[in-house]
Amino acid sequence: MKSKVLLITIAVICQALIVVGQLLLKKSIGAAQGGHSAADGSAAPVPWRNVVLKFLLAIACLAVWFFLWLGLMSQLDLSKLFPFEGLNPALLAIAAALVLKERMPLAVWIGMALVCVGIAVVAGS
Amino acid sequence: MTADASPPLRDAHDRAADAAPTPPATPLRWFLDPYVQIVIGALLVTASELLMKKGADAVEHAAGNVGIFGVAALASGWTWLGIISYVLSFVSWVHVLRFLPLGIAYALINVVHVLIPIGSWVFLGEQISARRWIGISIVVLGLYLVARPLARLEENL
Repeated sequence: MKSKVLLITIAVICQALIVVGQLLLKKSIGAAQGGHSAADGSAAPVPWRNVVLKFLLAIACLAVWFFLWLGLMSQLDLSKLFPFEGLNPALLAIAAALVLKERMPLAVWIGMALVCVGIAVVAGS
Repeated sequence: MTADASPPLRDAHDRAADAAPTPPATPLRWFLDPYVQIVIGALLVTASELLMKKGADAVEHAAGNVGIFGVAALASGWTWLGIISYVLSFVSWVHVLRFLPLGIAYALINVVHVLIPIGSWVFLGEQISARRWIGISIVVLGLYLVARPLARLEENL
């Protein structure tokens, strides 16, 4: 049986991998669409090298996450393990706001905070 | 688009609409709707998590400790079904990200935090305590708050 500290460390690394992977994925898709921030309707050439690179990096992050997650699941009950992801929506929303400059209505932020609280309650049980 | 839609959300939708036009009007158009795809993706993720847990358990029972990288779980057919389900959910997710901002899409996909404990209970026989049910209820309430302004916006489109 692995130590609890090691399991928690791996779970935290999993969180980071998901956030970075999702940001890269969204950036890759955004680049393939010619860039969301271009306000004028002019179609800039698609930077395919950039698109492919970010997409592959995203896949790499999510692939490493996948095998770490599989390893964690062999050690713990799924319904106990999954609530640990409670950090995830909050981290990702903050990252999307900071890195991608996405803006969301207040109600969505409040709803997301409730989701995290709910997950924390589940995780503490 | 009406005036009561909040500006940030309208911006996000406009940008998404600029970047990628809505799916073509085919008989399958409802299937390509990003919100339908979020539900389908959430069901696929739930299925994949349950299948991979079954796979990991099957291998552990057969061979003892699986280790930190769960590579040994690949010996189980359940794990491969889980992987197929996960790959399909990824295709669905990429489609969703073409139309929705990441923050909103990820907020909605949190419905898996409700589906997976319930799935673990129904299909894997794992126990759900009273406190856990309360937590799940709070998650559902939060998802409702996230989805409500979006649903109102969709009606007005």
